[in-house]
Amino acid sequence: MQRRQFLALTGASVFASALPAWAATDPRAVLFNWHKLVLELVRHTATYSPPVAARSFGYLGVAGYEAVASGAGLRSLAGQVNGLQPLPARDAGAYDEGVVLHAVLSEAVQVFFGNTGPTGQRAMAAMRDKLGARMRDGVAADVVARSEAYGLAVAQHIEAWSQSDGGALVKNMGFPRDWTLGKGPEHWQPTSLIVQQQAPLLPGWGNNRGFAMPVGMIPGAGEPPAYSEDPDSDFYKQALEVYETSKTLTDEQKVIARFWSDDPMLSPTPPGHWVSVTLEILQRDGSDLAHSADALARIGMGVADAFIACWHDKFVYDRVRPYTYIRRVIDPKWETLLITPPFPEYPSGHSTQSGAAAQVLTAMFGDTFSFDDATHVDDGIPARHFGSFWAAAEEAAVSRLYGGIHFRAANDNGLKQGAAVGDYINALKTL
Amino acid sequence: MKAAFLGLCLTALPVGAEVLVPQFAEETATAGVNQIYAGEWEYMVGGGAATLDCNADARADLILAGGTNPAKLFVNQSPKGGALAFAEAASGLEQPGVLGVYALDIDSDGVSDVVLLRQGENLAMRGLGNCKFERANEVWGFDGGDAWSSAFSATWEQGQSWPTLAVGDYIDRKEDMFPWGSCTDNWLHRPDGLKFGAPLPLTPSFCALSMLFTDWNRSGTPSLRVSNDREYYKGGQEQLWHLEPGQPPRLFTEAEGWKRLRIWGMGIASQDLNFDGFPEYFLTSMADNKLQTLAEIPADGGPKPVFSDVAFARHAIAQRPYIGDDLNPSTGWHAQFEDVNNDGLTDLFIAKGNVDAMPDFALKDPNNLLLQREDGSFEEAGDRAGVAAMGLSRGAALADFNADGLIDLVVVNRREPAQLWRNTTQAAGHWLSVQLTQDGVNRDAIGAWVEVDMGSHIQRREITLGGGHAGGILGARHFGLGGLASVPVRVIWPDGTAGAWQDMAADSTYVISPSAVRAVP
Repeated sequence: MQRRQFLALTGASVFASALPAWAATDPRAVLFNWHKLVLELVRHTATYSPPVAARSFGYLGVAGYEAVASGAGLRSLAGQVNGLQPLPARDAGAYDEGVVLHAVLSEAVQVFFGNTGPTGQRAMAAMRDKLGARMRDGVAADVVARSEAYGLAVAQHIEAWSQSDGGALVKNMGFPRDWTLGKGPEHWQPTSLIVQQQAPLLPGWGNNRGFAMPVGMIPGAGEPPAYSEDPDSDFYKQALEVYETSKTLTDEQKVIARFWSDDPMLSPTPPGHWVSVTLEILQRDGSDLAHSADALARIGMGVADAFIACWHDKFVYDRVRPYTYIRRVIDPKWETLLITPPFPEYPSGHSTQSGAAAQVLTAMFGDTFSFDDATHVDDGIPARHFGSFWAAAEEAAVSRLYGGIHFRAANDNGLKQGAAVGDYINALKTL
Repeated sequence: MKAAFLGLCLTALPVGAEVLVPQFAEETATAGVNQIYAGEWEYMVGGGAATLDCNADARADLILAGGTNPAKLFVNQSPKGGALAFAEAASGLEQPGVLGVYALDIDSDGVSDVVLLRQGENLAMRGLGNCKFERANEVWGFDGGDAWSSAFSATWEQGQSWPTLAVGDYIDRKEDMFPWGSCTDNWLHRPDGLKFGAPLPLTPSFCALSMLFTDWNRSGTPSLRVSNDREYYKGGQEQLWHLEPGQPPRLFTEAEGWKRLRIWGMGIASQDLNFDGFPEYFLTSMADNKLQTLAEIPADGGPKPVFSDVAFARHAIAQRPYIGDDLNPSTGWHAQFEDVNNDGLTDLFIAKGNVDAMPDFALKDPNNLLLQREDGSFEEAGDRAGVAAMGLSRGAALADFNADGLIDLVVVNRREPAQLWRNTTQAAGHWLSVQLTQDGVNRDAIGAWVEVDMGSHIQRREITLGGGHAGGILGARHFGLGGLASVPVRVIWPDGTAGAWQDMAADSTYVISPSAVRAVP
């Protein structure tokens, strides 16, 4: 079934009388539909490169969780995650949790995707109005008013919190207008023919405040192999591995590379890929509202923190991409299967955030939790089956080698760095 | 070939010469053109301009899309060499919902017809002469459909007496919450005798915003180039279709060399910039544009459809505003190659403007005029030339409206009046204007090539109909000649017949048919 059809059915669950797993006013419909829209908005909002997308997933996840937690008596993340002050308390009186959640997410999504284009604005308005009307249907006016006011207060609290993390303002799609390249062959060089990408993406992102990583305690990926052009060096051998692999790629390896390519503007991005996986599982298994909100908050914060950690190290090491090195040292005509991203190589962003995602999801669902990943079905890329989250993460990591955009060390160490990030998320107390 | 591309030395110009910056005078207020491309979300794309000579006076008349406003036709009354002057005329084209407009002589009666691309039913409008038109969907069997049509091109397939039209369609406008991935089918209207057959869906379709039939490999059979908006497709890419006579259309494949490219494709312009006989293609997008040239042209056999992007190398870039304090990425729409200073080197105009009010992209986004230098690179001169307007530009047309041998400019803006500029350049080079005509079908010789021998190289223009953004030109084609006072010219006609080389005096307009050459007084 096409993803779009699936979404339409899910929408129908909100709007039609014949309902599948959850009722028309089930707050889960609010949670899932808004997150599905967010996956599209990420794809269609130019500023939403993977780190920026991950940040939005983090804040939206927390917003949704706090809305649910406040109604279900669950432990708040305030005081646990960096900088989040206690959220507004509820007034006396009845609340409708679906209306609360819808008010939170319709406001928060508008805030975090206010820069999206006219089609995204139209889509947000349509979901706000249509889903909102359905959620309000049959609910007493005073309850609606109280619920919406509270939801708005929660969203505004989250928004205010987000403004101080260092990532709220992204200009020029994240590319500095002036940039001085590192001196020496080990340093990153632009690989793109796009003018904007002659400077690296978001060089200051690693200084942002994370969610669960204690400030000043970003897990590191460790030192990359020492740069060398000596054929006996580890660095050269890793480059040769990328080169030789590219020359003997199997069809399966090409499929893997493209499945995890997750290009910005052409997919929900790597963090969105893991949010998509999480959503599919939550819906497949009919997870309850609290567990669903908790899972989306954890995966969102996990990938967000992973990108901060990864980006911190990318600009500490400022390493050259395989495209540059191999064309300079091994084969001047070499081409990669995937488009080389416009920022330093080490560690691999997809690997780091996949490691974090696997660590977080494994803690929630178990070591041998199998699932089908249909993230790219609408793009004509078939679903893939995985026996565990770590199996998926490891495939995501090695996909970057198949694609010719990372050396092995960046993938392997990125996974480890991500796992360390995930441990911080797993230490949070919620349900 | 790459080295030749950049290292070309032209004898028409003195080596090391400064590029002559053309001068344009805006005459919007006095030119008699009053049109606003209006509308909300359904009109965020479109806004085309078309030129044609609808009253046989050898002047380029104008049709401008209006979105929710009616389309309008403006008759050119500009005196030769004088100020631009147009008069709005009741033409029968005053339709609402028009995004794009292209003129062509569908029924080969010697009178130009018009296709209107619309929200809803597209219209084929038969030219009646003297700038009057009437609906011809039924009599021509043209199924206008009901879609958001946004791209167009036309060709005459070999052996056919009726044109083949390609119509590009955009988003399913009924989708509100999840419109992404809802691209509706493009259509191929092929002939069925002396009318159109049922439209053939060009699936897969990926929200086309520009289409162009072009003989990219000089096979004698044009292919259909489609530029698609990645904002809305899923699993899509740029496309190139085979269109062999009598055969179903089929996409060029990776096995044939086609490489996947995914951009916010909005406009196509083509021109043989490096004088190798094969067109280059400029593709407009957001934050980036592409200038594609064939990666390899074998000594024997045709080239594969493998293109290299040389926009950065040739400085054919327009990724962000070059003036003003808004340095956010640009949004490009219509593109057109013309030699605006008559130095013998084709220049490039790009209409720019925010989709609506997207804060991540420039809100003040000046149109570009990239002048080609003698080394094949480009330099920006929009501000120095006086055409760096900041409106939400969409369509445009460059044509010599006042028949003085200098290319003028009209730009269609979203929600703001269209603008006109007269080219007032002093000391521009010599020029030549060529209007092709032939008896029988395809009166305007769509698919022909005009070749101008510059001594050291040959300028070539493929006579295409389509491309740009939502509009295009029909009629005389312009060549800058630099210092040359006369040039040999020949035409390769759509059937492949090569005409004889004939000397033509500069600073003149010629009407060329397979059997005669006539200078226009």
